[in-house]
Amino acid sequence: MTKQDHLIGGKVMTMRTLALLAVAAVAAAAVACGGTSSGTTGSTITLGAPLGLTGSLAKESLLTQQGYNLWQDWINSQGGIVVNGVKHLVTIKYYDDTSSANQSAVLMQKLITGDKANFLLGPYGSAATATDAAIAEQNEIPMVEANGAAQSIFNQGYKYTFGVLSPANKYLQGVIDMAATLNPKPTTIAMLSADDNFSLEVADGVNTYAATKGMKVILYKKYKNGATNLSAEVQAAKAANADIVLNSGHLQEAIAINKAAKEQKVNAKIFAYSVGPSTPDFITALGKDADYVYGGSQWTPQVKYTPAFYLTVAEYVAAYKAKYPGLGDPDYHVAESTAACLALQRAIENAGSLDPKKVRDALAALDVTVFFGQLKFDSRGINIYKPMVVEQIQAGVHHTVFPADVADAQAKYPTPAWDQR
Amino acid sequence: MADFVQLVILGLLAGGVYVAVGVGFGLVWGVLNIVNLAHGALVIVGGYLTWQLFTALGLDPFLTLPVDAVALFVLGYALQRGVINRIIRGPLLFTFLLTFGLNLVIINILLLIFGSDFRSVTPAYSGQGLEFGSVVIPYVRLISLGVAILMSAALALMLNRTRIGLAIQAISADRDAAQLVGIDLRHAYAVTFGLGAACAGVAGGLIAMIQAITPTAGEPYTLQAFVVVILGGLGRVSATVVGGLAFGLVEAFGQSIPGSGSVFANAIAFGLMVLVLVTRPQGLMGRLK
Repeated sequence: MTKQDHLIGGKVMTMRTLALLAVAAVAAAAVACGGTSSGTTGSTITLGAPLGLTGSLAKESLLTQQGYNLWQDWINSQGGIVVNGVKHLVTIKYYDDTSSANQSAVLMQKLITGDKANFLLGPYGSAATATDAAIAEQNEIPMVEANGAAQSIFNQGYKYTFGVLSPANKYLQGVIDMAATLNPKPTTIAMLSADDNFSLEVADGVNTYAATKGMKVILYKKYKNGATNLSAEVQAAKAANADIVLNSGHLQEAIAINKAAKEQKVNAKIFAYSVGPSTPDFITALGKDADYVYGGSQWTPQVKYTPAFYLTVAEYVAAYKAKYPGLGDPDYHVAESTAACLALQRAIENAGSLDPKKVRDALAALDVTVFFGQLKFDSRGINIYKPMVVEQIQAGVHHTVFPADVADAQAKYPTPAWDQR
Repeated sequence: MADFVQLVILGLLAGGVYVAVGVGFGLVWGVLNIVNLAHGALVIVGGYLTWQLFTALGLDPFLTLPVDAVALFVLGYALQRGVINRIIRGPLLFTFLLTFGLNLVIINILLLIFGSDFRSVTPAYSGQGLEFGSVVIPYVRLISLGVAILMSAALALMLNRTRIGLAIQAISADRDAAQLVGIDLRHAYAVTFGLGAACAGVAGGLIAMIQAITPTAGEPYTLQAFVVVILGGLGRVSATVVGGLAFGLVEAFGQSIPGSGSVFANAIAFGLMVLVLVTRPQGLMGRLK
């Protein structure tokens, strides 16, 4: 041994080896501090989302996924969700529940136990949301959903499910509010409804609300969910000769009813469908026959909310068109799905923790406005604070016609008779 | 009174579609003893074909129907000859499984090609119709009924007057005896399945004009074809026509029950099927073998 050798751990070390070790130690420490210069990066947050990517809800589930992905891209470009000064990137794990509510619950459980999801994003549709809410409750993991509006989900006393969208019973109430402002005021309503939970709630919402605005439901017909031949129901609406024909159902049925209305010469002053008119498929499937149809909508690109964080309405529309070109404006299913992610993000930030119970409490106390509207939940977990808007298709283009402060066009009322268009 | 007449007309018109969907299904079932669970999917393939030709070339949808028929015939022939024939002598359950699998494959291929968007064919004259006072008969549905009846008549003519048709009937009567007289079983089977698929294709073209289609939209039609064939009776094309029209009428009247009665329309129609099975199992027009 020479004077320059040192004894470390029983082994003889030369100066050179010591120096190399020191450099390595400093380098390791530098790497451990994280890649960004502003704050450290923590573990990746996993969000679980089962969606009906195949099956009867494929189209709407795809829109939901687009909404989730838009937010995921944005949050990760910001470095992730900030929790107590630590940034956490986000990854959303999707499974295909083939549009089966039971399968959705199975996959939700898998996301929790197998994929170790920190939090859950809702599926598409009230049926799957209901089954998934039970799983979220059992496992005590918050689920924020945007596509299950049936109030029956929120009347179960669940504490871990939060819906950012307006509940089902409000879907067509906006149309009635609008009708009350029109001249000559329509007074009679023919209400057609599919027999699934969500559609029945929308219809009941109309049945109870109409009288408060001086209107009467003179016909209420339910039909099998998913029916494609609705001529007999439309015939009954024709016989009733109502001023307003309302449908509560889904896209497939809205198209069938509109076609039957034209064929059977049903000339109502207002045709309004709860789901369908806001999707681009409605216009491409029906062409000119889609004109004058009203729809209740959770959100349109014309609303004027000032966001506390994330993008403005105009920026959101631009971001959607940039990521998904050729599809036109985002429809409300996309927007509400992004809003669910925003609610979760803000709740995590407010809680300053990834602990499920703390985030749950932060969600319950949340009150923030984003491009989608006010995000606040009532004691049951559903957002009764955001209003529905009414859209009308005019010359193949969607326009917001009610409420007046967000409208970009006047309602074209009354709807002209079929043979006078 | 006018309402009643309108309802009868609507029922018959709807029945036209059911006839179109049922004849192909019944042919394959009656001759090959295959309950083709992919029948609805083949119908939707025809629908997409009509839609594609309508939107890309602006062809009137009724003119695309022969294209549907030929294309689906080829597809059906290939499917039978290449795939289904391998288990044709197996237990019935095997054909169920195979056609069920084919159904899934076809639906997902459609999903890949066309996406899940809802498509519909809306020609310029859609919605217009004949008017007699307050009773309307929409053109599209009326012509569809006509096409369905014509197609059934053509099928029946083919089965009764052509060599291959008679061969198919012979196989249906006694398979081994048919082979003994020199009928090429595989070819005849494939032609039968092809004809069934061709009828499905035409039905799909009609359906694309009447409703919006999406890859999964064919599933209810498989079930309805099943009911139509049982109602009418297996074995003869005319029986399926009767079954289809009857089903349309029952559905129309079931759906016009006031209030919530409409949700029972399906139950009534299927209940009728059960009734027929119990009291007259050969169907309304079938013959007991």
